[in-house]
Amino acid sequence: MGAEEAWLLAAIPAGVFLVLALFGRALPRGGDYLGVAAILSSFLLFLIVLVDFLDTPGKLGPVVNDIEWSSIGESFDLRMGIYVDPITIVMFAVVTTVALMVNIFSIGYMKGEPRYYWFFAVLQLFVASMLLLVMADNLLLVYISWELVGVCSFLLIGFYWEKRSATEAAKKAFITTRIGDVGLLIGIIMLWKATGTFNIQEIIHHVEEGAVGQNYLFAAVAFVFLGCMGKSAQVPFHVWLPDAMEGPTPVSALIHAATMVVAGVYLTARLLPLFEVADGALLMVTIVGLTTALLTGFMALAQTDIKKVLAYSTVGQLGFMFVALGAGHPAVAMFHLMTHAFFKALLFLGSGSVIHATHHNQEMDKLGGLWKKMPITGTTFFIGSLALAGLPPLAGFWSKDEIFVVLNDKWGVWAVAILAFAAVMTAFYTTRLFIRTFMGTPRDKDVHEHTQESALVMTGPLMFLAVLAAVSGFVVFHGVGKALGFPGGITEFIFLPHHGPHRYHFDLAWATASVVMGATGLLLAGWMYWGNSIKRSTQLAEAQPGLYDLIRNKFYFDELYQAGIDRGMLGFSYVVSWFDRYVVNDTGVDGSAQVTGFSGGVLKYLQTGRLPNYAMAVAVGVVALAVIGLVVRG
Amino acid sequence: MVPLENYLVLSAVMFSLGVYGVLARRNAVLILMSVELMLNAVSINFVAFAAYLDPDKVLGAIFAVFIITVAAAEVGLALAIVIRLFRNRATSNVDEAASMKW
Amino acid sequence: MTFDEGQGYVVLATIAVPLLAALVLVFTPGQQKMLVRYISAVTGAIVAGLSIYIFAAYQLDGSDAQMRLQWVWVENTAFLGKDGITLNLAVDGISALMALLTGIVAFAGALASWKLDFRNKDFYILYWTLLAGVYGTFFSYDLFFFFFFYELAVMPLYLLIGVWGSTRKEYGAAKLTLMLVGGSVLIWIGIFAVFHEANLGTFDMEQLWAAGRDGTLSPTFQKVFFPFMVVGCGVLAALWPFHTWSPDGHMAAPTAVSMVHAGVLMKLGAFGIIRLGIQMMPAGAEFWMPTLMVLGVIGAVYGATAALTQRDFKLISGYSSVSHMGYVLMGLATMNQIGVTGAVLQMFSHGVMTALVFLMIGALYDQAHTRDLKDFGGITKVMPLWVIFYSIAGLANVGLPGFSGFTAEFHIFVGTFRSYPVFGALAIFAAALAAAYMLRLFAIVFFGPFDVRWSDLKDLTPLERLSGGMLIASIVIMGVWWAPFTDRVGQTVTLLPGVTG
Repeated sequence: MGAEEAWLLAAIPAGVFLVLALFGRALPRGGDYLGVAAILSSFLLFLIVLVDFLDTPGKLGPVVNDIEWSSIGESFDLRMGIYVDPITIVMFAVVTTVALMVNIFSIGYMKGEPRYYWFFAVLQLFVASMLLLVMADNLLLVYISWELVGVCSFLLIGFYWEKRSATEAAKKAFITTRIGDVGLLIGIIMLWKATGTFNIQEIIHHVEEGAVGQNYLFAAVAFVFLGCMGKSAQVPFHVWLPDAMEGPTPVSALIHAATMVVAGVYLTARLLPLFEVADGALLMVTIVGLTTALLTGFMALAQTDIKKVLAYSTVGQLGFMFVALGAGHPAVAMFHLMTHAFFKALLFLGSGSVIHATHHNQEMDKLGGLWKKMPITGTTFFIGSLALAGLPPLAGFWSKDEIFVVLNDKWGVWAVAILAFAAVMTAFYTTRLFIRTFMGTPRDKDVHEHTQESALVMTGPLMFLAVLAAVSGFVVFHGVGKALGFPGGITEFIFLPHHGPHRYHFDLAWATASVVMGATGLLLAGWMYWGNSIKRSTQLAEAQPGLYDLIRNKFYFDELYQAGIDRGMLGFSYVVSWFDRYVVNDTGVDGSAQVTGFSGGVLKYLQTGRLPNYAMAVAVGVVALAVIGLVVRG
Repeated sequence: MVPLENYLVLSAVMFSLGVYGVLARRNAVLILMSVELMLNAVSINFVAFAAYLDPDKVLGAIFAVFIITVAAAEVGLALAIVIRLFRNRATSNVDEAASMKW
Repeated sequence: MTFDEGQGYVVLATIAVPLLAALVLVFTPGQQKMLVRYISAVTGAIVAGLSIYIFAAYQLDGSDAQMRLQWVWVENTAFLGKDGITLNLAVDGISALMALLTGIVAFAGALASWKLDFRNKDFYILYWTLLAGVYGTFFSYDLFFFFFFYELAVMPLYLLIGVWGSTRKEYGAAKLTLMLVGGSVLIWIGIFAVFHEANLGTFDMEQLWAAGRDGTLSPTFQKVFFPFMVVGCGVLAALWPFHTWSPDGHMAAPTAVSMVHAGVLMKLGAFGIIRLGIQMMPAGAEFWMPTLMVLGVIGAVYGATAALTQRDFKLISGYSSVSHMGYVLMGLATMNQIGVTGAVLQMFSHGVMTALVFLMIGALYDQAHTRDLKDFGGITKVMPLWVIFYSIAGLANVGLPGFSGFTAEFHIFVGTFRSYPVFGALAIFAAALAAAYMLRLFAIVFFGPFDVRWSDLKDLTPLERLSGGMLIASIVIMGVWWAPFTDRVGQTVTLLPGVTG
């Protein structure tokens, strides 16, 4: 058993999915223990793969294992296989850890829900697809698992299908990401056309040798990036993620915060050598990341639903990761991806704990003062919030700090200024979320009285993730990495081959700036919301009604799209249907039938029924034929 | 030997009379008789041409015999129809037997 | 009389068994409705078994036509020379896959009509006659018999729809039959033109294909008569703008007929384009394929767009069939191995998934007696299995990886991109539209608040589960492990004239 056998990581949950989907209903407790066991074995397998990978003599050389899949004559050969390198390892770590925690948490959270077994079944399918996605060695397999995670997301967002809003959200998520996927597939096929292969490493090799023209490459990369934007909910595709919060909260934690939505970041990181060769591609990534971080920061300010705030924050943090990629540093992006996965999963599970305890209440206006009632949830949530706000020494601080450093090196101070503003807003709305939920006095006595701390099956994962959210940032240090058996800090583990590893240096100036940003947001929010009062924020909203409406309505993206769909797409569809019915069918097809019928109606009068008429017709015909014959021959 | 032209003129006259009869007459029996005239005209042509072109063979005569046979059968059938028509409509005028129109 | 190790008789049996079944049914008393059903079920099982055998036994040794059976019918008289008209049956990679499709869909369709009570004897007589025609067309290597079986497959449709159909059945049946017969006339003209031009005194297809390749059929001739063949067959393949029989015909047709018609008969059209177009007139194909590509793209986008706002289940499927057959035509029009292979895969894929969709629509309509989407809501509550089956068909329709639709569409997209990148992009966009109309249907019908008026709907019967299960198995096998399919089809496609690497 070595890293070559990493496909087992995905195979086990996939098998359990089949078992649960087919027989789960008949199993005691819906087979949830099977789900946990499957993920646990994936997690253990990951540890084995990790050890094997670190022991490989080639020192972090990628591990490849592929088989012949199908072929058509000489022209088309498909191979499918796995490719394990440091990026894959990090993704393995994130996916298996968070999935394990979420699975355990769900046992408590989903207790008593209808279709309990189905929830666990789809969760297994999701984990299998996600693991397959991160170890695929070719873009076709990436696309396949990309769609599979999409469909799992669809199924889980629509888990409560009796609710119209959940169904609509699921539909919106699937179709929005699907539009991005159109781009992804076009991009993949464009790359295939230029290089003749789907294998990622071969494509990169061909491109670096200059086998692909600049404009063509940029177009292909941009199309691929469309897919990444769709999956990672970057502006303007971000609209589906907040709505996706209709799904059960553990799903939001796993799929819509920690793993699936980072698939776009993962794929961009994987293909970053292509982005570097294509002129302007990195700038494009940076602009998308900055825009998203900034806009969603604004949007999160005015949300009152706990999960929606977290959702917008997720989109924003994904923007941060793209900014890191745009600066050409996959290591930094993957680092932030990892820390974010831990603290955001923690925050979502924490909010899940709150929602579960308050009987599905997720409006901040009805909560407040919960810390005393739910000490473990409150404390862990506090740690997660500080990590998200980027305060030292928690994980979020180190990864966010690195993003500022590399951004400054690559694109200069203006980009940093924009991102810094987004970071301040992040700290602000995170603090607001925490204060409004856990501090002050309860606003809804009835909800408050029935609230009690969740069971250990739920708080256990919270505590585990809280530890990770606190300490996982330290892996950036050389010494910590060494101690864990890595060649050094995470930036020395993940790097682009021709850039070489680079060692992390603690820079006091940046650290100070970063702390100031976090503290600014934090204090500002404290000033506005402390003590159970929203007077100051109300005043602010009344002072700037236009701006407030704009933010409150999320810059009217949804309305704009809805109008586009109703007026544009559906309108076009009505036109086509009308054309098909009235022009093609009624005029073209039925019309020709009517012409035939009408001609028959007219010509039938030749049928007089009188013998002499017919005889005359015969005689005239014979004469006419004779004349024609004479003329033609003559 | 009688020249071929004489036969042809005779046959042409008979045929034209037949055509005139079919087109101009309204009585079903007369129309049938005109048809017979036309058939006989054709038979004359066959026999005459056969005698002139290849006297050894009797191909033309064979055709004539066929035509006579078929004509007899045809008249038998047609007269039966005319009789049914007369029984039903009390007329043998073909103009009045126009129920097969549109 | 020659044959390959007796396998030719298997091919003959595949045609003969349905015909025999029809004959036996003629002499079965009509009151014995159960007996009629058993005979049909057994026939279906035998036919499916034979089809699977043919698919599995097809050798991957690089040869083309296998399992040959040749009986001279008429030769050396009048205008016919040696091998004038022969019953010349054989199987190549494409027809092996089509036979498999026909077997599965025919069996599933026979089971799906179990509930049919009104004159079920007559229904099955026509049903099996039609299927004999379908098999005959796929296996014929003689133009005369090709056309003979083709007509045998099309003609029973009129009665099947007109007598056992539903919504506006006389209109749908008449329109469908007339349009298809119109196409047949074009094919018939084309066949005689080819026979006359080649002047070989034979209807043997392989000799005529050789004539097409070596220029005995002059390029000008091919350019003139290629459209006859392609439009003639294209009507049956829902070639835009000759597709309008599809929505109305499907709306009118009874369940099993919709299944067989959308599942198998529409493929006869595309199959005819390969046999009579690409193989017989390579020069004509080269000249006309860009036009066919444009029509295919229009069909693909147009069908998907029109399906977006329909309210009748069957209209959605009818338009989505137009869209998917547009993909098939695109794949054929690429004239490269990947695209053409993809087109044949799509013929199979669309066949099984559309059959499944129509099976499910029938299962619902039999109980609910309405097909308006807006009448339903939250059906998952009472028919969970039905929803799962429909979802699998729908997601295959959308081209979701893991289901056959993806395998086929992926090959078509890659092939199209190789020759016509812009059209390839449009086709991928149409696949996104497919997601939109399918999810709209899911959202309206399956999910949302449950409407109590449907609380006595029953879930799938065991027979429906069996026939649906077979179709799902085909969908999933092809979606996950497609090498057996591409190997067989690819072996023949690489030998097609004018199809590039």
